[in-house]
Amino acid sequence: MRAGSHTFRSSPWATAALAACALLMIVAGGRRAPLASAEDVQAEDAQAAKQNAQQELAGSFDTAISPFLVKYCTECHSGDLPEADLSLDKYETIEQVVEDRDRWDIIQDMIATRTMPPEEEGQARPSEEEYTFVGHWLEAKLSQVDCTGPVWPGRVTLRRLNRAEYNNTIRDLLGVDVKPADDFPSDDVGYGFDNIGDVLSMSPILFEKYMAAAGDVLDEVFSDEALRNRVLTTRPEGDRGDAEAAKTVLARFASRAFRRPVEEHELERLLAIAELARKEEASYEQQVQLAMQATLTSPYFLFRVEQDPEDPQAVRELNDYELATRLSYFLWSSMPDETLFELASQGKLQEPAVREQQVRRMLADPKSESLTRNFAAQWLQLRDVDSAAPDPQKYPEFDDALRSAMKRETELFFESIVREDPSILDFIDSDYTFVNERLARHYGIEGIEGDQFRKVSLSGRRGGVLTQGSILLLTSNPTRTSPVKRGKWIMSNILGTPPLPPPEGVEELSEDEGAELLGSLRERMEQHRANPVCASCHNRMDPLGFGFENFDAIGSWRTEDGRFEIDASGELPGGQSFDGPAELRSILRETKAEQFCRCFAEKLLTYALGRGLESYDRCSVDRIIETAGKDDFRFSSLVLAVVESEPFLKRGGTGGKP
Amino acid sequence: MSGHLLISRRTVLRGLGTSMALPLLDAMRPAPALAAQAAVGAAGSGTPRRMAFLFVPNGANMDKWVPNRVGYDYDLPYILEPAARIKDDLLVMSGLTHDKGRANGDGAGDHARCASVFLTGAQPRKTAGANIRSGVSVDQVAARKIGRATPFPSLELGIEGGRNAGNCDSGYSCAYSSNVSWAGPSTPVGKEINPRLVFERLFSNQKSKDGAESRFERDAYQRSILDFVREDAQRLQSRLGQSDRLKLDEYLTGVREIERRLSRDDTGRAGRDADNFPKPAGVPEEYAEHVRLMCDMMVLAFQADLTRVATCMFGNAGSNRPYRNIGVSDGHHDLSHHGNDQAKLDKIAEINRFHVSQFAYFVERLRSIPEAGGTLLDNCMIVYGSGISDGNRHNNENLPIMMAGRGGGTITPGRHVSFPYETPLCNLFVSLLDRMGAAVPWHGDSTGRLTGLEA
Repeated sequence: MRAGSHTFRSSPWATAALAACALLMIVAGGRRAPLASAEDVQAEDAQAAKQNAQQELAGSFDTAISPFLVKYCTECHSGDLPEADLSLDKYETIEQVVEDRDRWDIIQDMIATRTMPPEEEGQARPSEEEYTFVGHWLEAKLSQVDCTGPVWPGRVTLRRLNRAEYNNTIRDLLGVDVKPADDFPSDDVGYGFDNIGDVLSMSPILFEKYMAAAGDVLDEVFSDEALRNRVLTTRPEGDRGDAEAAKTVLARFASRAFRRPVEEHELERLLAIAELARKEEASYEQQVQLAMQATLTSPYFLFRVEQDPEDPQAVRELNDYELATRLSYFLWSSMPDETLFELASQGKLQEPAVREQQVRRMLADPKSESLTRNFAAQWLQLRDVDSAAPDPQKYPEFDDALRSAMKRETELFFESIVREDPSILDFIDSDYTFVNERLARHYGIEGIEGDQFRKVSLSGRRGGVLTQGSILLLTSNPTRTSPVKRGKWIMSNILGTPPLPPPEGVEELSEDEGAELLGSLRERMEQHRANPVCASCHNRMDPLGFGFENFDAIGSWRTEDGRFEIDASGELPGGQSFDGPAELRSILRETKAEQFCRCFAEKLLTYALGRGLESYDRCSVDRIIETAGKDDFRFSSLVLAVVESEPFLKRGGTGGKP
Repeated sequence: MSGHLLISRRTVLRGLGTSMALPLLDAMRPAPALAAQAAVGAAGSGTPRRMAFLFVPNGANMDKWVPNRVGYDYDLPYILEPAARIKDDLLVMSGLTHDKGRANGDGAGDHARCASVFLTGAQPRKTAGANIRSGVSVDQVAARKIGRATPFPSLELGIEGGRNAGNCDSGYSCAYSSNVSWAGPSTPVGKEINPRLVFERLFSNQKSKDGAESRFERDAYQRSILDFVREDAQRLQSRLGQSDRLKLDEYLTGVREIERRLSRDDTGRAGRDADNFPKPAGVPEEYAEHVRLMCDMMVLAFQADLTRVATCMFGNAGSNRPYRNIGVSDGHHDLSHHGNDQAKLDKIAEINRFHVSQFAYFVERLRSIPEAGGTLLDNCMIVYGSGISDGNRHNNENLPIMMAGRGGGTITPGRHVSFPYETPLCNLFVSLLDRMGAAVPWHGDSTGRLTGLEA
């Protein structure tokens, strides 16, 4: 489903696709964020206006909204060259608005946060009551998504194994941890993850690598007696000839490699390959090895194949083997194990209770570490820690030991959330973290000795991922902090409302040597924000970043920056003010809980499915949040809700949403 | 300087209606002499021609790039100074444009666009993942047409792996910013960043495996595997939807490529050794050494005629690498948004200049190798440049582009040529394809052929 406008992709997750422009450059997020807008409103007026809005929901667009638009918006947003390529004069009915829901989500957000119309001279501003009324009217209208009918589960493009999945699958299939894919070209990233079917292409060089890797890995296996015996479960003996023995071995091997029972005709063709080698007087081992190399080069191994429903408009429930495969690549980035195969063969994975049991078992398994390495590392952009390059002149204490300790801290923190299963709100703020001696020294925590990491209690300065060295580092420039990057990071990865890029031709913040004469970084940024075009966006981004100014570009605590005292106070849109990172964290944890959980659920669902989310996934995300909310947003409750979601369990036809 | 813009394909389309067969006019055909010469080279009886495209990220400080004077007597501004020793082999071209790198209604994301458009000349579809679409890149066009002459149709190299976290640029999938080579509109060709692996691929002495001592036997085994997987892929393809079929098409192309290599008779072929070049140990820590090793790999591959087409990305689009070895500790991308700040502009010029020195190293290496009474460089066309010009404005006209080599005597370097404003960079590509014996009527948004490459 695509909206008519050429600049806008009909997905709430694709707000960035909008042309950069004054109105839309703000963080908008493109989805309703009930808490975000509710909190922005002064309590009493708000309550009254909200009731009015609800009462008048039945009221027409003409009486409720049109006058507001004409009075405050259409002077700029209409005509041949509307601002932000947004013509508000073309909407005449509520149906048109709902049809263009994703765009109106942004508009609603702009109004609810008082971002538009801009604070400019000569620009009429709505009263608080008008703002509240229209904001709520739109929110109510736009949130009326009909989730009662069947949910379209979408369709995942045929996915090849990415590098991590290939390595893990080879490890679990053959028992060798040789990581051949480390030498493959890197996988491209879409929607923030490198396991997206649409983006994982199969270039000729990659095929060449897969084919060579199959040969190399099997050489490794067959040159080691123990490993060889593990795969060669049967040998020719007495009446049992090479072909018969090979058939037994290959039937088991190919079924595991293809993640479903191998079909008779496939097996016959594999045996024909073994037979070819036998005719060349190759040994039994060599015959089997050759057939195995073919298996590991087959598209049924390299791609995760799911059957489309026959009717392109129809939806089918995934079969047990497909479910086992989805579960194992979601939680382990690898192939299903014996237990999952066994359950699949019994048809048990169709039962929700069995699935829950399996999810819990899989999360407890050490292989769920792949969630840290692949999901968390990409969600939190942790992989960027490796390439962060603080200036050695300014930060002489930074070295690779500190770099890896920072990364490890966040990994352990994520792992503890998987294992201990607290509320995922601990990501925003927590009273514990993990340090070794090097990192403890960096944080000013005393009494920690040795390279071993351990859990420590925190009070005040740090808590949650936002104050971990890794995140503070990767959101900084090499020579200084960047409150903008920090704010943008929080908006993108915690609040799920990534800001749009700045419009073209915007003056950049001056940073040269002389600039300091004009004031502290913060003062200069505030001057920069005096420009209303910039302010509409930076008013949301910058305060979030300023709140963490007590941490320098490598995450050390500081109270001064050069000759300037650090001012880590600020005010969020909507009026909550804070002074310092502790207060900001606690505001975020208290007031942005649902928004964060939505963001997290979207990321997790994207990763689990291997596709970008579309507007029809909204009901599924709503349901995930609702379900997880009943269990205090524990990590496992989100994982379980993702697994039980329609898009995870089902597959739509190629015809798209009917 | 007139007549560079020949008759545009669109003009023809407009005039004749799309039902007419194209192209019709001489101006749209390759010069017959060029085609004939190239055909000789491609057939193997003459000296082969090679082409390479080197991409640098984030544009350039154009004030210190564009020479003041045109013609033979051109000057080398600060950034081009390291090219002094190759000045006579260099053709600096100003005025070339990539219109499809512009937003054209798609909004922000110039960095992602600038890499994907660099060799394709096609407007990339704005998507974070679903249905990525660009165009076929010029190197891949050549690889498709003349790649059969060599063991490897083309080489795709780079210094930075694909970015593996976060979003790349304003709603564009990272595929756009980390690839300049596109085998098909939705198939970016992953690049090799490890010189050791490039070396092994080029010069592997085909491990002989137990039981497969003879080459014949080994090849027969490989073929049996390829037969098996082709059947799997075809069977699977018949059951899949459109976007899935595309994936299988890509897969089958890979199958065919290996089959082709198996069917080549390369035994006794001259020049198939690495000329005593030591095998690289892996990815060097030092950026300059890494770049040079990659250049060495291209030199070796060209010298041994293992391939005639190569691309190398000195960095991914939007790369934020600091260059401490030349005293620049800020990230390159951060700097490129210079806001006309002189200190930043100076640092960008330093980075640009440093990249040019790497380019000069490559060109000098090619020139040091004798070939057919001249040097290897004489038979090369090495294009160097970026897909945006000023990193701050992100504009796509007057791109920083230069080329080294003589294209087998079809190019007259040692000059600065200034083309009319808005001349498509793709016109250069079409002209180079002519010289490779891989002529196409148009490429990307080309409007004709570029004249003036020969003096």
